[in-house]
Amino acid sequence: MPRLFRLLEKKRGERRTGSNLVGSVGEALLYGALFMLGVTALSTLVAVHFWQPQSAWYSVGVGFWLMVVVLSSFVFTGGIGLIWTVVRLGISAERRSALATHASALDLVHEAMPRSKSHPTVPSFDGLTDSPGTDLAYRLPSSQSPGWRLLAKTIFALLWNGIACVMFVIATKSWLEGAPQWFLTFFLVPYFAVSGWTIYYLLQQIWIHTGLGQTAVEISDHPLFPGREYQVHLSQAGHIDVKSIELWLTCEEEVTYRQGTDIRHELCKVFEQQLLAQGPVEVEPSKPFRVTCTLPIPAAAMHSFQSEHNSVHWKLVVRCAPAHWPEFERRHPIVVFPGEATLRAVVTPAQTGQATRGQRSAAASIEVVA
Amino acid sequence: MTMEPLISLCLVGPRRSYAAGDELVAEYQLDAVLADEVQAIEASVLWYTEGKGEEDMGVHFFERRLPTDAEDGDLRPLRRFRTTLPSSPLSYAGAIFTIRWCIRVRLFLRRGREYLQEQPFTLGSVPAAARQETAATA
Repeated sequence: MPRLFRLLEKKRGERRTGSNLVGSVGEALLYGALFMLGVTALSTLVAVHFWQPQSAWYSVGVGFWLMVVVLSSFVFTGGIGLIWTVVRLGISAERRSALATHASALDLVHEAMPRSKSHPTVPSFDGLTDSPGTDLAYRLPSSQSPGWRLLAKTIFALLWNGIACVMFVIATKSWLEGAPQWFLTFFLVPYFAVSGWTIYYLLQQIWIHTGLGQTAVEISDHPLFPGREYQVHLSQAGHIDVKSIELWLTCEEEVTYRQGTDIRHELCKVFEQQLLAQGPVEVEPSKPFRVTCTLPIPAAAMHSFQSEHNSVHWKLVVRCAPAHWPEFERRHPIVVFPGEATLRAVVTPAQTGQATRGQRSAAASIEVVA
Repeated sequence: MTMEPLISLCLVGPRRSYAAGDELVAEYQLDAVLADEVQAIEASVLWYTEGKGEEDMGVHFFERRLPTDAEDGDLRPLRRFRTTLPSSPLSYAGAIFTIRWCIRVRLFLRRGREYLQEQPFTLGSVPAAARQETAATA
């Protein structure tokens, strides 16, 4: 009975703590009401237009068509929402998920990848083994696309500084005409400060993008298995003096969640191991920095995991600190499969005791019923 | 006053921890409900995530039974199902999310009433992860 009066519910992804039936009925009523409102208002609007064309309220013009568009959106949203609610009514989350799994199993693309079937939640590594290496088997792609980031920063800097120029002209004109705009003038001071920062930051990024050579990471095998050792090769091209260059193996958890209307991502590093650290190095175009080291994957490592909103990513991260240049980091994703040590079951004495007690009580309840 | 139906659900055997490729056997039975009240019953073996992110779920085994599937149209007697467990995802206690496995029985009664019972278990033996550093972005 108290659940009927619960106003606040805890949302757990797609699941809710409240009654599914009440929720579904409420949803259907909302969409149904929206649909009815839209249909009634739209038909009234059209009918009045044909029966009383002289009516000033509903005369053809921008207002009339705007009303038609708005009311049609009501009809469309209400109708689709109602159909969607009815289709989902009485179908459990497990059944929907099982149907989706069955549908994906029929997918021709998945048919061509038996790996996906044996490890459906381990991310695909096809894109990571496309490029052969020169020293080792595969050259790993970078997870970042500096070109797109640079383009976005350039567009931001252009827009910001373009607006700054227009405001500067307006402010100068007001001063020359003897009617100074004080607010605009004072507002321009912090605005120009940000302009200066955007220009400095953009130039810095252009220097990093064009001045530094390519960072390449190659690996002896892929995918990787916990408890095994692999070889990794790092090369840094360009014409720079490097204060330090490091190679790290990292594992991060990443989750996505909705907060109001925002979609937020959160990252959490759960494993980090330094594979290589090199002191001052001189990199020249004819003599790039090259080094090979061992990559041990911990035996008890969690495998790479990818679902819609939660994931576990393994990466090789290159951290470089050039002299007189800003530090930079380049990330190269790798895929770790479940290892032999973690595939085994672990039964502690405490678990055995609990399990046995649980089993006894469950078995007892069945015996009583039977 | 209407009595709530009793769903007895258990894993067969003493174990609550399984290795990849192991066979999981489970049983369920209904009580305190009339046979003609039961509209359908669904048994599944699934994993789901818990934590800061939105919940994800994957169904490994799914069986839906209607009264027409049972002898005399009665879905209440003891029912056993079995499945071979996959190699991933393994149970995982991470820093910001957790992967849990369970067997779940969902009972559908007439007039839209629904009841659910689940029993957790562990797949594999990945140790718990510790948080090292967090960076949030919008």
